[in-house]
Amino acid sequence: MIVSSRAPTFISKDSLALICFGVICVYLVLALLSSFGVIGVDYATTRLQLSYSAPSASHWFGTDFLGRDVFARVLHGTQVAVLVGFFAASISTTLGLMLGALAGYFGGWVDDLVTWLYATLESIPYILLISAFAFSLGQGLSNLYLALGLTGWVKMCRLTRGEFLKHKNLDYVVAAEAVGASHWTRIFKHITPNVLHIAYIQYSLTFIHAIKVEVILSYLGLGVEPGTPSWGVMINDAKSELSRGVWWNLAAATLFMFVLVLAVNIFTDRMGKALDPKSRASNFEV
Amino acid sequence: MLFGVTLATFLIFNVVGGDPALQLAGKNASAEQIESLRLELGLNQSLPVQYLEFIKQVAFLDWGESWHTQQNINAMIVSGIGPSLSLTLPAFLISFFLSLLVALISTSIQSSHAAWDRGITIFCLALMSISFLVYIISFQYFLGFQWGWFPINGWDTSWTERWAFLVLPWIISSIVSLGPNVLIFRSVLTDELSNDYVRTAEAKGLNRFQLYTKHILKNAVIPIMTVVTMQIPFLVTGSLLLEAFFGIPGVGGLLIQSIQNSDFPVIKALTVLGSLLYLFFNLMADVLYTFFDPRVELK
Amino acid sequence: MKTVIFQAISLMFILLACTPKASKKTNTITAYLEANVPHLDPIHSTSKYSSVINANIFEGLYHYHYLKRPITVQPKLADGLPQILNNGKTYIVKIKRNVHFHDDPAFPNNRGRELTAYDFIYSWKRLADPKLKALGWWVLDGLIEGLNDWRDKVRSGQANYETPVAGLTALDKYTLQIKLSRQSFQFLHYLSMPPTMVVAKEVVQKYGKEIINHPIGTGPYVLKKWQRNSEIILSKNPKYHKVLYPTIGEDQDKSKGLLKYAGQRLPLMNEVRVRIITEKQPLWLAFLKGDLDFGTIPKDNFEQVFQNNQLTKEFADKGLRIHSQKSPDVTIIAFNMEHPILGKNKSLRKALAAAIDKKTILEKFYNSRGIVAEGPIPPTIYGYDPEYKNPIQHDKTLAKQYLADAGYEGGKDLPVFNYEMANNSTWARQYGEVLKDQWAQLGVKIKLNVNTWPQFDKKIKTKKATIFDMAWMADYPDSQNFLQLFYSKNISPGPNNFNYINRKYDQIYEQAVVLPPGAERQALFKKLIDIINEDVPGVFIIHRLYRYPFHSWLENYKPYPIIYDYYQYLSVDEDKKAAHR
Repeated sequence: MIVSSRAPTFISKDSLALICFGVICVYLVLALLSSFGVIGVDYATTRLQLSYSAPSASHWFGTDFLGRDVFARVLHGTQVAVLVGFFAASISTTLGLMLGALAGYFGGWVDDLVTWLYATLESIPYILLISAFAFSLGQGLSNLYLALGLTGWVKMCRLTRGEFLKHKNLDYVVAAEAVGASHWTRIFKHITPNVLHIAYIQYSLTFIHAIKVEVILSYLGLGVEPGTPSWGVMINDAKSELSRGVWWNLAAATLFMFVLVLAVNIFTDRMGKALDPKSRASNFEV
Repeated sequence: MLFGVTLATFLIFNVVGGDPALQLAGKNASAEQIESLRLELGLNQSLPVQYLEFIKQVAFLDWGESWHTQQNINAMIVSGIGPSLSLTLPAFLISFFLSLLVALISTSIQSSHAAWDRGITIFCLALMSISFLVYIISFQYFLGFQWGWFPINGWDTSWTERWAFLVLPWIISSIVSLGPNVLIFRSVLTDELSNDYVRTAEAKGLNRFQLYTKHILKNAVIPIMTVVTMQIPFLVTGSLLLEAFFGIPGVGGLLIQSIQNSDFPVIKALTVLGSLLYLFFNLMADVLYTFFDPRVELK
Repeated sequence: MKTVIFQAISLMFILLACTPKASKKTNTITAYLEANVPHLDPIHSTSKYSSVINANIFEGLYHYHYLKRPITVQPKLADGLPQILNNGKTYIVKIKRNVHFHDDPAFPNNRGRELTAYDFIYSWKRLADPKLKALGWWVLDGLIEGLNDWRDKVRSGQANYETPVAGLTALDKYTLQIKLSRQSFQFLHYLSMPPTMVVAKEVVQKYGKEIINHPIGTGPYVLKKWQRNSEIILSKNPKYHKVLYPTIGEDQDKSKGLLKYAGQRLPLMNEVRVRIITEKQPLWLAFLKGDLDFGTIPKDNFEQVFQNNQLTKEFADKGLRIHSQKSPDVTIIAFNMEHPILGKNKSLRKALAAAIDKKTILEKFYNSRGIVAEGPIPPTIYGYDPEYKNPIQHDKTLAKQYLADAGYEGGKDLPVFNYEMANNSTWARQYGEVLKDQWAQLGVKIKLNVNTWPQFDKKIKTKKATIFDMAWMADYPDSQNFLQLFYSKNISPGPNNFNYINRKYDQIYEQAVVLPPGAERQALFKKLIDIINEDVPGVFIIHRLYRYPFHSWLENYKPYPIIYDYYQYLSVDEDKKAAHR
């Protein structure tokens, strides 16, 4: 029985997970709509005379320093967050899965090389590592995905490698070999489906991690290009706004981030318990 | 292994970042002055030669002087470790015991009050869904300033005065690490519950309190320690954001400063020392794990 | 639910927590710095942060009068103004007697030795010593006869500290003769800057490399404690030579109470605690709470504090005061003249200049703290002309016209220009966003690049930047300090970061700088400003006006950006301060 095939069925049995899944879908729709310019269109329109106006009927979450509508910005920020989360998680999960599979399956020098690579990455203090990547890649959204993706694959790789080590000697793989299945067939057709549930869980964890790290990177000036409204940028702007009574920028970004991250967190937790009861959440703060 | 770390550090920070000669020379410097500075800093040598220099430094753990402050780097780091530890260690302990307590409660009511157990999990996840920076900004503003419960920012060398400055950072740090810790501990404890000896013990008529203190906790100590050991290196590197906002002169602040000033010698030192610590505690965790689970062999 | 639990947890701690108690008579000033002080050695003192601390521990021959504006040089360790001979090329300076260095184990019996003329010769050789890589060397570079020679010879091992320098002689123990290799009307300013302050040979020899942590000078304060990245505590030098609080100042100074301590011996307070707070929020909150005696107002808090040119009632009632001071600086949107398009097309630069709405920038980013800049020379600097108007004023239609003249009507065919920001602050980012917006209306697109300071510096000094934001703050109060920014011999990595080269400009500049202050020099400077404003190597935006907030208990607070040795004049009214707490 392939564990990951239980994924669709568990949702239907778990109402909380279903709600979270719904919330996540709403966010995805928001992100899509804002990227097609349906909502949050005037996120960049400056109206200097309206600088820091409080929430009102025309501006639900008030305006920021340059008089831009905070609601539009936070909606647009959803798109940035979803993109950052999606690409960072896709890159790191794929990379982790591939490298982990190769290392676990082939062993020998491949394994040594991969292990050496991730051990090296893992031992460098994370904040130095991510700043180094962000620094060398430069500013911008796509570089942010890359930096987060290229530094986030270690955990996935380690777990996949472990699973492959276990699975490659199990009967069904040995049997496949006996009937003449090639290495690649065995890796992709036989073993990979059996470890996919780990990929699902790791994917969501990296997704959340990326969104949270974006805030810290913005603090260090390594985030998205100026002008792009990301939640991290909005939270960072609030550093000096709160003491003058401007709470809406911080509140809007925090609220939007909270709901999405919480939904993914709960969803992942339920999924983890359903698919892989032995897995342990671990989420180090930066 | 260390070779990889040194090479990565060297390449990344040598290729990117600013030109220290330019920075040191200041705003009125002439081209001649900058050239001579570059010569003195050894920046004119080829990359392999510079790398060899670096390896030598690693071997003797002697990093020379910072480019930015011209201070001895070991002295800078040593002076930062105390403040960092006085922030992170108590916070770590508070969070550890609090998390263990919550995890124990959560586990023990798993079957009797499933909704509460679920509630605790969701609460932890909610705590984890707010950015660290938001905690800092709002706690400092409301608790420190608006309600005036804590000093806003400051430091003192004597402990009698120092702890007052540290309480708020401890609280924030504990809250942030509470969520993940509870969840990890809870899953470790739940694993223990599924073991045969638990059923045996229950069959023998042990009450729940005895069961948890005598058996489950005892058996869970090692996996929990394994998890915890891996967090120790992070205690020394301190907390970047908390240190910056609360004026704690620790290693985290040093790290930020050295990145922002392209202070390459300090970055090199911190990266390599961080890796060494990590490797050491990784080994410790492996050793612990081997004791716990004889099926895993030490490599 | 969540907040309730937060509060419960916090309450647990609150039972333990209390703010550190302040004893009644502290006799202490609590100051702040926004950045860490890397080292305390006057020869490396080039940032304002290290200069403040250095100038309160060390002293030079001259310094600036605390109250007079425009700021004026007056003797500090020198006994009177110098005797100037030989067409302004020879200076004879008498040195005060009975001035002693701080007590330190470096001296026999731990007692600070008396200062002599030889100490200055030694200190300035130190500044020139190539092995020390002094950051402040530019101050004396090429100025004193034989000092550059000495520097070269030391580098090649042919000279040492015993080797005499032709331009530096001690006529006797208390008389110093300085020969300059060229006339310099800035020389007394140089002698007022931290790099030329005096150190003792014994101390340097005792501490070697560690000298940067053992500042021993002759100044009003001694270093008591230095907790890196956190706090510097200075305590009164009990043997400080006789320096008195000034008895005259500007007209209103008397009514402002700034002359209450006239004629009293300095320093007024026993201790200065300098807190290092790098984040804006804690800095502002700590000041409001009364933890700091004076502070700084973040942009976002400004309107809350100050409206219609006065303190808001809320803050006036809290006992806040404001000192306003025109700052000798100019902010500039600079162009790299080596850029193949931007550097070659004067009309394009004019278009960009005309499109910038300086008034809005002044309102939004400086809360109208300052004046719109018409040229490079700021107010309070010798040579500033308040009547002068820049030929290019903000005008959207004119800007479009210039752009068409440049051959890029409506911005067609123009590439996207890179705009470099000097740091990653929210302020810098929003500033860039407004600029981007204003130029977008013209049809010119820019891309905003965030840099750390070192990255920014590297881009500028290696001529890689296209358009960038910079500010120049006077090193000394003379126009020449600003006009040198466009002199071709100063192009990057020198201070001419525009890489502006104009032979005519150079000619007039060279003519002007050797003239003594007066109408003739002034007329030449005016020509230079006209040339710059016609060529537009950069757009001069704002001359800032600083608003320094302080609490009512702080007395004698009259800050000025390049007066660093001000702690000694400050005093705290302990009763008022206690009442606040």
